[in-house]
This record gives sequence, C-alpha cells and structure tokens, in this order.
Amino acid sequence: MASKRVISREFMLGAIVLAFIAFLSFTTGFGSTSGIFSMLLDVSPTILGAIAMSLIIFTGNIDISAGTILGFVGFVAAMLAKAGYPFYVFIPAGILTGMLLAGLNGWISVTFKVPSIVVTLAMNMVHIGFYVTFLPNAGWVLNLSDSFTFLGQGRFFGIVPYIFVIAIAVAALFIWIVKYTKFGKSLYAVGGNRQAAIYAGINPDRTVLTVYLVEGLLLGLAGILKATTANRLMPSVFQGREMIFIAAAVVGGVNIMGGSGKLLGAVFGAVLVYLLSITMIYLGFQDYFQFALQGVIILIAVFITVSDFAPLRKRLKKLFAPKRAT
Amino acid sequence: MKGTLMTDIARSRSAPRIKFTYQAALGLLLVGLIVLFGILQPVFFHLNVLFDTTSIVGEIGIMALAMTFIITTGGIDLSVGYILQLAAIVFGVVLKGSGSLASAIVCSLAAGTACGFINGIIISKTRIPPLVTTLATMNLFRGVSFIIAGTSSYTGFPAGFKLISTYLVFNAIPVQFFYFVFLFVFFNLVYARGTLGRSLKGIGFNEGVLLFSGIRTKRILLFIYTLCGLMCAVAALIYLGRLSAAKTSMGNDLNLQVITAVVLGGTSIMGGVGSMVGTFIGVLIIGVLRKGFTLVNFSGNIFNFTLGLVLIVALIVFAVIEERKKTSGRTLKS
Amino acid sequence: MADVVLQMEGINKTFPGVKALSNMNIDLRRGEVHAVCGENGAGKSTLMKLITGVYQPDSGEMRLNGQLLKVHNPNDAYSKGIAIIFQETSLFPDLTILENIFMGHELRRPLAGVVKFASFLDYPAMRRKAREIFGRLGMEIDLDVRVSQLSVASKQMVEIAKALSFDSSILILDEPTAALTSREVDTLFETIRKLRTHGVSMLYISHRLDEIFQIADRVTVIRDGEYVQTGEVKNVTRDQLVAWMVGRTLDTLYAKEDIEIGEVVFEARDMCQEGVIDGVSLTLRRGEILGIAGLAGAGRTELALLLCGLSRPDFGEILVDGARVIIRNYQDAMALGICYISEDRQKYGLVVPMTISENITMPLLRRISGFLGIINAGREREISTTYIDDLAIKAPGAGFVVNNLSGGNQQKVSVAKALATEPRILILDEPTRGVDVGAKSEIHRIISGLARAGKSIIMISSDLPEIMGMSDRVMVMKSGAKQGELPRSGLSQEKILQMAL
Repeated sequence: MASKRVISREFMLGAIVLAFIAFLSFTTGFGSTSGIFSMLLDVSPTILGAIAMSLIIFTGNIDISAGTILGFVGFVAAMLAKAGYPFYVFIPAGILTGMLLAGLNGWISVTFKVPSIVVTLAMNMVHIGFYVTFLPNAGWVLNLSDSFTFLGQGRFFGIVPYIFVIAIAVAALFIWIVKYTKFGKSLYAVGGNRQAAIYAGINPDRTVLTVYLVEGLLLGLAGILKATTANRLMPSVFQGREMIFIAAAVVGGVNIMGGSGKLLGAVFGAVLVYLLSITMIYLGFQDYFQFALQGVIILIAVFITVSDFAPLRKRLKKLFAPKRAT
Repeated sequence: MKGTLMTDIARSRSAPRIKFTYQAALGLLLVGLIVLFGILQPVFFHLNVLFDTTSIVGEIGIMALAMTFIITTGGIDLSVGYILQLAAIVFGVVLKGSGSLASAIVCSLAAGTACGFINGIIISKTRIPPLVTTLATMNLFRGVSFIIAGTSSYTGFPAGFKLISTYLVFNAIPVQFFYFVFLFVFFNLVYARGTLGRSLKGIGFNEGVLLFSGIRTKRILLFIYTLCGLMCAVAALIYLGRLSAAKTSMGNDLNLQVITAVVLGGTSIMGGVGSMVGTFIGVLIIGVLRKGFTLVNFSGNIFNFTLGLVLIVALIVFAVIEERKKTSGRTLKS
Repeated sequence: MADVVLQMEGINKTFPGVKALSNMNIDLRRGEVHAVCGENGAGKSTLMKLITGVYQPDSGEMRLNGQLLKVHNPNDAYSKGIAIIFQETSLFPDLTILENIFMGHELRRPLAGVVKFASFLDYPAMRRKAREIFGRLGMEIDLDVRVSQLSVASKQMVEIAKALSFDSSILILDEPTAALTSREVDTLFETIRKLRTHGVSMLYISHRLDEIFQIADRVTVIRDGEYVQTGEVKNVTRDQLVAWMVGRTLDTLYAKEDIEIGEVVFEARDMCQEGVIDGVSLTLRRGEILGIAGLAGAGRTELALLLCGLSRPDFGEILVDGARVIIRNYQDAMALGICYISEDRQKYGLVVPMTISENITMPLLRRISGFLGIINAGREREISTTYIDDLAIKAPGAGFVVNNLSGGNQQKVSVAKALATEPRILILDEPTRGVDVGAKSEIHRIISGLARAGKSIIMISSDLPEIMGMSDRVMVMKSGAKQGELPRSGLSQEKILQMAL
C-alpha cells in the first residue's frame, strides 16, 4: 500500500503554537497572567468561527458574510439585554439570529443552485446595508450592563475566561461530532465527490442546508461570546472577520476545495493566526498589516493544499530512498 | 445619452436573439427608473442632472468592462475595489513625494497593472481558483495600500489633473462618460465580434476544448486579469480627479457595484454567456440609482443595501432561467 | 438442481435510436463466476446497469432468489445485496479506506443503551468488520490510508470490500482487469476464488478470453444486444467463443474506393508509455486509411493520444515525411498537420453550448480576423456554410447551437472543425460511435473523400464491419501492444477478433 505521513499536521501546528507562546512570553512579558487571559479571551470567538467556517468548507462551500452575521448576533443579544431580558432569552435569541441568517444563505444557494460564493458575497452587502440603514444608531449599543457582560468578562479562578472554556468545550464537541456521526462524514462526502455521495445514499442538498444552520449556530455563539466581552457593541467591527476564519481553516489543513481537513487543525490554525497578528503588533507593524498578512497566508496555505506535489515527490524519492516494497 | 444607447444595441447584432431581448428589457428598466425618480423628484428630469449621473459611472463602468471579461470566463475578481484603492494611494504618495504629475500617473497605472498581473499569474499558473485567489489578494492589496499610505493624507492635486474628471463636454456632459463610452466601444467590439470575446466564452463553457483549437487559454487569462488591474488604475485616476483626495476607504463599495453591474447586464456568473452592452446598461442603471437615491435623500448605505438585494435577486433569477434551459434542452436533443 | 440466485428473462431495453437489449436471458447460480462476453457495444454494460438499478427494463422479468425483482436505483440494489465494482471508482479520494467502505451505512452504537436515537459511529466495530472482510479476501490492509494514495488495483480492492460490507451476495465486476498488471490480476483472481468459496455469486464482464478460461465457471456470449449462448467453460473452446461472438452477416456499408496510395508520410517507432503502451510501431502512407482494431482497453486511444501530443511517451519517436519531430503538445501536432477527432466530443471536440459556426471556425480565428481581432463575419459564414454543405450537416443554419443537434451531426461538426485546420494526417477515434446508420454512411463517404484528396487517416474503431469496409490495412492491438497487421484482402472478422482477444 502507501506510506502514511509520519508527522501529522496537527502535531506540527500544535508544536508551532507552543513555540510561539514560549517566544512571546519570554520576549514581551506576554506570559503574564493578564496577557494570557486576554489572549484566551480574544481567540475564543475566532476558534468557534474557524470551526464554523471549516464545516462549510468541508462541503465545498464558503460563507463570506460570516462577519456581518456576527454583527447581527451581537446586536440582537445586546439589545435584548439592554431591554432587560435575562441571559436565557438573549443568548438563544442571538443563536437563533445566527441560524436564520446563515440558513438563509444556505437556502438560497441550494434552492436556486447559485454558488455560495456569490450568494454570500451579495448577502454580505445586504447585511451591511441593512444594519447601517435600519438599525438604530447603525447597530451601536452602548452602556451594556453586567447582566450582559458577565459572560464575557467573567473568569474561573480569576484566570481562565468563561468564554474560553465554552469555546473549548464546543470545539471539542464538534470535533467529536464530525468524527463520530454520520452527519460529520456526510460533510466530507458531499465536498469530496458529490456523485459518490449520492450513490452512498446521502442527500447533498439537505446536508448543505443543515451545515449552514450549524454554522449559524456556531456563529451565534461566537457572536455572543465576543459581544459580551465589552460593554459596548459596534457591529461594524465584525466586518471582514470571515477572512480570519478562512485563514485559520486553511492554515489548519482544511482543503479549500472541500472534502478533507481536520477541525482540530482549524482550532490550531485559529490560534496560530491570532498569534501571528499579535506578534506583528508587538513588532511594531500597524493594524492594517493584518489584511496583507491574511491574504498571503491564505494564498500560501491554499497553494500547498491544492497543488499536486506528486511529480515533485516522485523525483525526491528517486533521489533519496531505495526502492520500498509496497 | 439615449441616442447612444440605441446605436449600441443596434451595433451588437451578432449577439443571439434571446440576449438582444434581455438587453432591450434592461434598457426599458433604465428608462423606467429614470421616470420613477423623476416623478419622485422632478428635478431629476433636468438634463444636467441626468448627465450628472454619468459622472459617477466613470469609475465603475471602466472596471465593469474588464470585469465582464473575467466573469465570462467563469472567474471573478474580488480585489478590484482594493486595486483601485492601492493605485489611488500610490498616485497620492508619488505626487506628494516627487511633485511630478506624470510620474504619479505612471506609477499609479503601473501599480494597478502589477496587482492585476499578480492575480493573473496565480490564477493561470496554479490551480488555486480565482475566487480564493482574489479573496486573498483583496486583503493583500488592501493591506499594502494602508502600508504605503501610512498616516499622511493626500490632497491638493494640481488643477489640471482635476480636469480629467471634471471637464464638461459641451458644458454639459461629464468627460468621464466619454471615456466610458470610448472604452466601451472597444471592449464591446472585441467581446461581441472579436477573437478574444469568443475565446473568453469558450473558456467559460469548456476550457479544455479550446486547447484543441490552438487557443492559449492560460495566456488569455493572464491577460484579462492584468487588464483588469490596469482598468482599476485608470478608474482610480478618474475617481481621484473627482474627489481630489486619496483615502484608504475607497475600496469597499466598489466591488459590489461593479459585480452587480455585470451580473445585472446578463453575464452569467457561471461563465460562457455574457453581454458587454448589458454591462453598459447595468452601469447606467447603477448610476441612476445612485443619483436617484441621493436626490430622494436615501443614504449611501441604503444604496448598498438595495444593490445587494438587486444582486441576489438577479443571481436567483438567472440561476432559475439556467435550470429551466437545461431541462428543456435535454428534450430537444435526440 | 442448480441454485439460481439471479435470473433475467426476456429483457428488452431500447434507447432513442438504438435497441440495446432484445430478449436477453441470463441466469446466475449461487457461488459461480459467470462470465459475460461480447464485443464492444454488445450490450454488456447496459445489462449491468439494469441489474444495478441505473436503468429500468422496458419489458421482461428479473428474479432474485426466485422472487420478482425491481431495482429502483443503485442504493436499492445495494440493499438487496447486489453490488457492482465500477471501473472509474466511486470513492472519496481524501478519506481513508475505512471511511470509504462504510460511507452511508456506517455501523453505529447508541450513546447509552436506552437512548436509541442518539447513536454515534462505532469505529471498533467497523474496524473489526473491515478486517474480517479483508481477511476473507486474504489481505492485510492499513485501514487509515487515504484512498487517493492507492494504486488502481488497491482501489478496486477497496471497492470490493465496500460491496462486501453491504453483505452483498451478488457481485458484478465490469472489466476489472483493464487497468491491472498481471501480478495484480493474479491477486484479484485469488480474491475472486475466495469469494466464491464464501458463496458470493459473481458476474464477470470481460472480453479477455484467457482470463475467462482461468476464472469463470460458465460463460454467456451476447452479441448486438441479443443472447447467443451459454456454456460451461470447461466444455467450450476458444474458437467456439469467437465464433459465437462474431457470427453475423456482413452488412454492406460504404466500401471505400480504390485510391492510389503514396509514400510514407507518418511513422511511429517503438512508442512506449509505462504500463499502457508497449513498443508499438506503425507507418502511414498518403491516401491510406489505417484501421486500428482491438477491444476496449487494448490501448488504442492511449496510442492515439501519444501520436498527437495529448500525452507524452516515455520512449519512442515520431517521423513526419521521414524527418523526426518532437511533439510536446497538441499545438505542435496541429502545426505539423496532425489532428485528432474523438468520439468524446464534450471533452475533446466541441464547445456544446456554442453554435456550429463558432465551433468550426474556432481553430481558424486568427486567420479570419483582422485588426484588434475582429472576426470577419463574412468569411466565417463562408467557411462554415462550405463545411455544412460538404458534410451534409443537417441544421437550420450555421448559427444553430450544437447542443441541439443529433449525435451524428455533432460528430460531423467535430470533423468539420478538425478539417478546418487543413490537416494532412487525421486520427479518428470511433468516428461513428453513437451515430445513426444514415449519418454513419455519410461519415464514411466523407472519410473516403478525404483519403482521395490525399489525406492520410488512422481510424480507430470497434465496429468490425466498419473497419473492414474502410481500411486499407488493419492493425490489431491487444493489451497495449501491436498484435499484428492484416492487409485488406482476406480480411475477416474472425481473424481480427482472434488477434484482439
């Protein structure tokens, strides 16, 4: 048969993440508890977003409106909180908002057979236009009280943020779901070989629709987690977030064409991308370098995944190893 | 303006009949919109107001022409807004640094072309799909434009330069419109009747088969993306002439307008089918909407929102038509 | 009394324009390997598609273990215990062997014994079953390897394992050895024998007589959609099989005219492509039609691709007009006057949504365009109408979309397109496949006319009467190698088939 990869991608990524953290903590005093705390805080929503995006990408689709969906989620939750509704109302409401919006994207794409890229591209604009136009104050919500921010600003033992624990728990749950349920497998199937998936009895349309709903759920959660970290909310801050999610997924080994990739990789990818941007800030690069960085990251990571290195590999093999029995 | 429209429609006789009817309908829609806005705000009917709508379509229009090429091949370029931004910034920086208008223009055009070239190389040489490529380069260009701009502001362009965009032909029609029409004529000729146009449609349908006819598809792809970059730079110059300041926030909305214009005009997002005339009318429609919205006191955000809706609806409608065509086509064939 | 698991009686299936199967009978006994044999186009794959539910029979009966059988779709077939091993695999390249085997019908375990609806995938159970299946097949396999990294033979094994994971009792193998080396074929046969001892009944479709004699218990020959004979392999001889496969009268198709054949214009020496083509040489003269016969998988198309630059040989040289040439790609071939016309129009020939005129003139764009690349509409019309007339393409006009033409007319457009480049050497790959009889003879007339005009033609065909009627010489290929050449005089179907099988 064929050889297995000795070093898995997750292992590599995990190592890089550790190395990075070490580097940063030594050089910039980042290793202090407050530093780590804020890092965990910042990265939690991104982890969820990366997972959401990965699920979509597995099926061969994409969602460029993820960022604006986050904005809506935050807005709905914040407004409800401000109006006095308790957490068991605004949290589900936020999640529902996410599911509705993402579900709409999926529905349009599946029903009318329009590629998800264009659907979500257009919907992104619709979202932006909507909240800037129709939401009071362009969606800004100020002076949020403790009843809202307790979630984001609270911590266990004074160090570990609630939201980080939530994010990790959800991440672990979804990693399990993708591996141990039929639904998880069907995602890869639909993205890998749609015809074969049909032969295997999988309904691709239903799968895609469901995955968008799931994405919505995760985005809803991510949006709430992020929103509750501060006592004011500006939806516009979320615009463009999807790039980070895509970069995280792609760096984590998710094949942009669909059909393969590991969620754990996406989680590591999220952390890695985050660390990269932190490093750049510490090194004195301005905020907007982020954009360029994300662009380059996506290109490189996709290039590696998409390219066929077989001829190169063959040549290398001929140079080095003696003939192996297969 | 309407006169030009009619001759353009007549000129594209080579387009198959169904397309002709769609573009005509689109033209009617344009007229309808004008009438609608005119009813809401009678000042709209004044000629100089009407002509003013064309002043804003210069940038979008030129980019849309190039974008039509790209979308016809089944690809897309999401980075156009940011190429324009980058080119504009480069112009501002070079002008401020060297004081020479000529070098600023040249550098700006070069920057845009270079961006387009980067897109083209990646798309034609690697297997990365245009979508992902331009998604990534869009961020790249945006970031680079910020990096180059730093924190300075760039204003105070020489008066002569402003004339590029603000000169009024016959004291009425903005000169940009002429640029647009001029370029449109060439683009349309090549698209509807030229080798390039046919090759593009072929690539959109079935790239592999074209190789059998000796057509160098990869070279063509490289060309159209590079051309698009150049067009973005040209659009940047026109935009600058109008606004007189180079800022780092220009990129965002332009993408949507350009793509909507092309899709609205009847070019299929799946490739193979398209109409430059449609793009022309689409651009005009967007211009009318923009101006109309301003006059009716709708903000730019409502405009974007509406445009997003228009794009979605257009995509859905076209997708439905494609599906309908596919199922009926099957019964025709023996 | 033989235990019949699958029986088909009086099966008829017609597609528009062609009757694929008429009054087909076949029965499969438990635990037997039953070979189904016939030329290309005899109806073998249609038969299999009926059994696996891809198509429905127009009339006739199918019985499974004596019960009436209706298969609605491939999934339905699986659930009834019928599985087919495809040639082009229906696997997921980025997933592991284990995942591929159980996709869609994974084994599950409830979360907590009581909570029925929440169940999750039971990997240990799946691994156990997979190992057991492979054990039955006599192999040890690393279940966590990605399918994309496997060889074709291994992929086939995974397909077989997948079929067995459904507890299929009936397995259909469609030309399974087409892409295998002889060592891999041995392994496959071992597997088949093991399956037989486990009571799996197999339909083995192949035209490779050697293999049939090696592995099959009985063999059924079908010809032109009709049932011919069934016999016990041990009681049947090779010659008998060949006779059954051929036994038809020769229709008088358009016989080619006698033309003076000129000097050698094209020559290929020792063409080799690893695993595909083995040292094939041929010569071609001006005005000559060289037919290449052979059964599916013999490598004829692969050879053609080598000759026109669509694939690269590992070894060998090509000479045009006596001088050695390097053909790196199809453009080079076109520049030398070589062109390739394939039966797979979608892939090689035509841009289907475009018009006849656009397709025909596509190779000529540079020639008919002027400043800025503007196409001269008049010249375009001129050229396309000339070809439409010459080739008698039935269409309302040059602006008619190719998609709406019949198969035969589409093929003509394909030919016109190739001719538009004014080639000297044409390689035709199944020029009349999928074409109705009327258009067929017209295409033959055209080909003959081309030869008369001094062009040199290589014609690959699976239609024996066609090859016999049109060729000056016939070259027979088998398993990637040239078996021999037969001159026009004294050609017979038997001779050709004997070489091909």
